[in-house]
Amino acid sequence: MHIPDGYLGPATCGFFYVAMAPIWAFASRIVKKTLSAKQVPLLAIGAAFSFVIMMFNVPIPGGTTGHAVGGVLVAILLGPWAACIAITVALVVQALLFGDGGITAIGANCFNMAFVLPFLGYYIYKAISYGSAVDSNRRVIAAGVAGYVALNLAAALTGFEFGIQPLLHKTASGQALYCPYGLNVALPAMIGEHALVFGWVEAIVTALVIKYLQKQAPELLEEGKV
Amino acid sequence: MRRNNFVERSLTGAISFLKDSVFADEYASAKGFLQSLDPRIKAFTFVLFVVTAILAKSAVICLILYSLCLALACLSGIHMGFFLKRTWIFIPIFSLFIAIPALFSIFTPGEAIFTMDVAGLKFIITRQGLSGAVLFVSRVVTAVSFVVLLSITTRHFALLKVLRVFGVPQIFVMTLGMCYRYIYLFLEIIQNTYLAIKSRVGTSLGYKKGQHIVAWNMSSLWQRSYYLNEEVYLAMLSRGYTGEPKLSEDLKSGARDWAWLIFSVAVSAFLLMAAGRGTV
Repeated sequence: MHIPDGYLGPATCGFFYVAMAPIWAFASRIVKKTLSAKQVPLLAIGAAFSFVIMMFNVPIPGGTTGHAVGGVLVAILLGPWAACIAITVALVVQALLFGDGGITAIGANCFNMAFVLPFLGYYIYKAISYGSAVDSNRRVIAAGVAGYVALNLAAALTGFEFGIQPLLHKTASGQALYCPYGLNVALPAMIGEHALVFGWVEAIVTALVIKYLQKQAPELLEEGKV
Repeated sequence: MRRNNFVERSLTGAISFLKDSVFADEYASAKGFLQSLDPRIKAFTFVLFVVTAILAKSAVICLILYSLCLALACLSGIHMGFFLKRTWIFIPIFSLFIAIPALFSIFTPGEAIFTMDVAGLKFIITRQGLSGAVLFVSRVVTAVSFVVLLSITTRHFALLKVLRVFGVPQIFVMTLGMCYRYIYLFLEIIQNTYLAIKSRVGTSLGYKKGQHIVAWNMSSLWQRSYYLNEEVYLAMLSRGYTGEPKLSEDLKSGARDWAWLIFSVAVSAFLLMAAGRGTV
């Protein structure tokens, strides 16, 4: 789901940088106000955690592996605003130091994976698990559903961003300048693979991690997120 | 039930990631043209080249920029085999595959330049499809190559500091620097855990058992990370942290850096103007 440089045109890249700017500013303000000085390293630790989550190979039926994005998990653990900053930092490190995801597409990647994914996932999790005890099964189910739904929506958004490129950028002779496939191809391709494979990986990983934390360290699932 | 070698894959992934970073650091500390430039100016000019590639509407511009990128890699003592492997795998090759269907009239209608019959079905490659695919792949490989070249010829800490030039708030830059250190610590933890799993239960596990192992690893990593927070804060206090992040500004620029900046801006402006006039 990391969009590389060259897939999105300048208008789309610019739009998402502009859209993310107030979100980043607001997130920094909220986090600065809410986090105590003692918790400052937690942001960096959360960012490193969201970076390495993507490096875990999760076994799937058929002998192959996939990997989770972990956006909803980080949001459940840190709160959505802190998750927004942590995932942004992880995406910047990936793009700048390891060439994974484009520099010009950082705005779009952050909108999909550091804003839509954690916020949607977090509020779905909160809605389903509302009023439940920290160790209840409802929280495990809520985490799985939130992971699945939020990842699929983020993937659909990515497909939409790819799909509008031929509409926005085309030469007079009909040659595509950026991602060559329209909405009729890009949307089903992105939704299909995530609905069938990666969404389930995300759901299983998010649910199982919450289940383990319920047993091992329930205090980490208590309220007080940013 | 088919067995899954996810333990081996995770180990290979973590080890190759660490190995690549060591290689990158070796290149960043070697003597060469790009290594001698001020990271701030180098980063600015490389972003400018990437933006020029994104704005280009002709594959010729992307190929000129790509040639410049390869020449810079040579001047900086980067081993070409390592550089091409690092840049073409995975994104440009993946882009090449996804560009192939766009060659055909079913996705890109236009002037036919090649027609083939396969099992009674007519496949037409169009001029618009071919030029679109060439532009797409050349733009992707050019952008990826510049970013990788920047990353392997600059010390990673200096590169993160450079973000201040682009107006990134200090709290983000400080978090980035700290995050970068933890990534290596966490990768080492993961590597050791998977080695322990490999030595105790082997690499061949069913996928359900495997998923539980991965989830257990993630949750225990989070637990360890969370408790690490307090120790890190105490270490920061002992080094004089007062609640406000401060970054040392030890980057310097000289005449060579300014000459490179002028050259890069001129190249980008010339290419974009030439493209605007339809010369390339």
